[in-house]
Amino acid sequence: MQSSRLRFWFAAIVLAPVVVSGPVAGQRISFVSCPIIRDTKSVPCWLSQYDGDTYYLTIQSDVSAAVQPPMLGHQVLVEGVVSDAPPICGGIVLEPVRLSVMPERDDSCNKMLPADDRYTIDFNPRPPGPSSGRLAFAPAPRTGPAAAPPAPEGPQSVDLFFDFDKGVSFRHPGDISSILSLAGRLPARKVKITGVRGAHLLTDKTLLRESENVGRRRAEEIAGLLRGAGLTVSPEIEWLDGKDEADGIEDWRTRRVTVVLTP
Amino acid sequence: MNRWAVFWVSAFLGATGIAAPAPDQWWNPGDDRPLPAYVEYANTWGRLGVLNADGPVTTDGHPFFEPLGPNGRACVSCHQPADGMSISLESIGSRWTATNGSDPIFAAVDGRNCPNLPAKDPASHSLLLGRGLFRIALPWPPVDAAGKAMEPEFTIEVVRDPTGCNTGPVYGIAGEKREISVYRRPRPAANLRYVASSGFGVSPFIGKTGMLAAIDPDTKRPVNMNMMADAREATLKTQAMSAARGHLELTKGLSEQALNRIRDFELQLYAAQAFSSEGGVLDEPDGPTGLGPAALAEGRDGVLGNNTSNYVIPMEDKWAKLPKGADAAEASRNTFRQSVQRGHDVFFFRTFWIRDAMHINTVGLGNPIKRTCSTCHGMHMTGMDTANGWMDVGSTNHPWALEPPESPWAKKLPELPLFKVTCRKDLPPHPFLGREIYTQDPGRALISGKCDDVGAIVIQQLRGLAARAPYFSNGSAATLRELVDFYDRRFNIRFTEQEKIDLVNFLSVL
Repeated sequence: MQSSRLRFWFAAIVLAPVVVSGPVAGQRISFVSCPIIRDTKSVPCWLSQYDGDTYYLTIQSDVSAAVQPPMLGHQVLVEGVVSDAPPICGGIVLEPVRLSVMPERDDSCNKMLPADDRYTIDFNPRPPGPSSGRLAFAPAPRTGPAAAPPAPEGPQSVDLFFDFDKGVSFRHPGDISSILSLAGRLPARKVKITGVRGAHLLTDKTLLRESENVGRRRAEEIAGLLRGAGLTVSPEIEWLDGKDEADGIEDWRTRRVTVVLTP
Repeated sequence: MNRWAVFWVSAFLGATGIAAPAPDQWWNPGDDRPLPAYVEYANTWGRLGVLNADGPVTTDGHPFFEPLGPNGRACVSCHQPADGMSISLESIGSRWTATNGSDPIFAAVDGRNCPNLPAKDPASHSLLLGRGLFRIALPWPPVDAAGKAMEPEFTIEVVRDPTGCNTGPVYGIAGEKREISVYRRPRPAANLRYVASSGFGVSPFIGKTGMLAAIDPDTKRPVNMNMMADAREATLKTQAMSAARGHLELTKGLSEQALNRIRDFELQLYAAQAFSSEGGVLDEPDGPTGLGPAALAEGRDGVLGNNTSNYVIPMEDKWAKLPKGADAAEASRNTFRQSVQRGHDVFFFRTFWIRDAMHINTVGLGNPIKRTCSTCHGMHMTGMDTANGWMDVGSTNHPWALEPPESPWAKKLPELPLFKVTCRKDLPPHPFLGREIYTQDPGRALISGKCDDVGAIVIQQLRGLAARAPYFSNGSAATLRELVDFYDRRFNIRFTEQEKIDLVNFLSVL
């Protein structure tokens, strides 16, 4: 009798955390999985499942969105922090969240869920039809003249971040233009461009690494674009491996190019 | 000429029954008759209005209209006013019959499937006679703006060569000229103030890829790269020069003065359907403000469409609720106009899943996206895409491109070449098509050398469609209905029959 009671308490103490071991608010989570798209009466929302839990990633919006949706036909690398916000579209909210479409095709990633009255989007910033005249997340038009940016002093460092294994995309022209502007205002006499091969320590302790040559490819691509868009200084190019930086905390920052401008 | 003046001309032509093709509908190079400030030409759906905003054009001595090269062609040969400044399949057929194949449009350089084929044999011109396609010979490997050979991200093989050109000893990919031949429709040389506008989305970088934008050699400023199927020419002037050397075979090209005259003429020229056989006069002063050529002449270019202030094709719901009509003719007209309005609403508000379309599903929207036709056809007044508007909707790429199934019993065999593109293994694959892509026309990739650009074609303007069938860069949609059907299949839209009819009617009045 006593022995069975002991076994009960042992099981209760040891197994209880297992039974309730869902993600907790503030927990960092990082995984690669298929995205799932769920239709709603307005715009669709995007989900992904990992370790038995469903996570809400983002909704369809437009190019101005801070978090842009993944793609069916590809796995997605998800890096985020579990939020205590109410679930959205049936998924645990990750805030902030960073998504990167994995480049190779995966035709098993093909789940489209129909609209379901239990899941509605009540913060839709942009309808599926024509826009209302401005981008969903664009700031309101300025009412007065823009303040001149302060004159830069000393060496300036700018990071550009990339999707997994990918080079320059539609996201980069603004960053590259800013670098050119900065180079002109300094003015830069030396430009060093460092491309980094990214690495990710996933929640399951897997070390996910980008392709071997991606750091070099990114650095050369950025250098070519800067030169083509008017940079007169011949940049110094190097590349390195971001493996040692991967610690499971914002590892997306390892997928980068760093441009250092020295006056 | 303003909207009222155009309306009265159009109304007069309608009242007098001038709808049959005029004897001077076709413009021969060197005709030397003036092009009026406003003229209408009949077509299957009604009449197209052609408006010269700067007044009548003296064509005598004008480089757009004069035969400048050895093959007797002028720009007007393939940019006919009656055909919305393109050239319709119907016109091509008529010219073959009328001239027994000797019209300059059938010149060997690009009017035959391959220059080495025999003259005046319809088989030598089957792509022009059957689909309205001219041969476009591009260098392989691609060259950069300075003419230096690039290292493309892919290799290319010829899988099928019905014209014999791509495997031939002279014009083949491995031949003397190191050319690759693709076959495309001429784009309309009207409403180009819109097409060449730098008013939206133009920066030193291509908005959809982040690569460097093309530069205007005169101003040294970036351009919108929205003009040709593959955006290979930066400006109207560089396009005119390239066309003069290629299509007109003018060895020395054109003078600066001639280029400026061509550009100036094109920037003041507007073409749109002005009269609908079923819907009546389209540019009535109290009618929808987006229809007719005068609306284009008065409109703002470089404006992204929306649903509050700048509709893509403004109609203001003016044809949404119309009376039954005092008589049968008015009732029929109003029924058609209401169908046009519904077609407009389908175009803007009927959502469907846009999936696996390169350069739309890859620009931060996700794959798929639930949107509408106007998501891509979004520019005010023309329905083009925003700047750098090349995209792969599947019009040339396997598995969506029109390919008649081959069989021992097939009466029609594939007409276009088929290429196998193999993308480099050390680079990411095309996100939707992988590393092996089959295509009839690699499109933008033949200029950029990028795997992601295979089959990507710059979206065309939607104006004057009624005058210039067939559609798509490869002429694969013979009619407006086939064009709608293509999208219905491609994106599994499942339009109702009524929606298809309404969409076709809407497109017919643009």
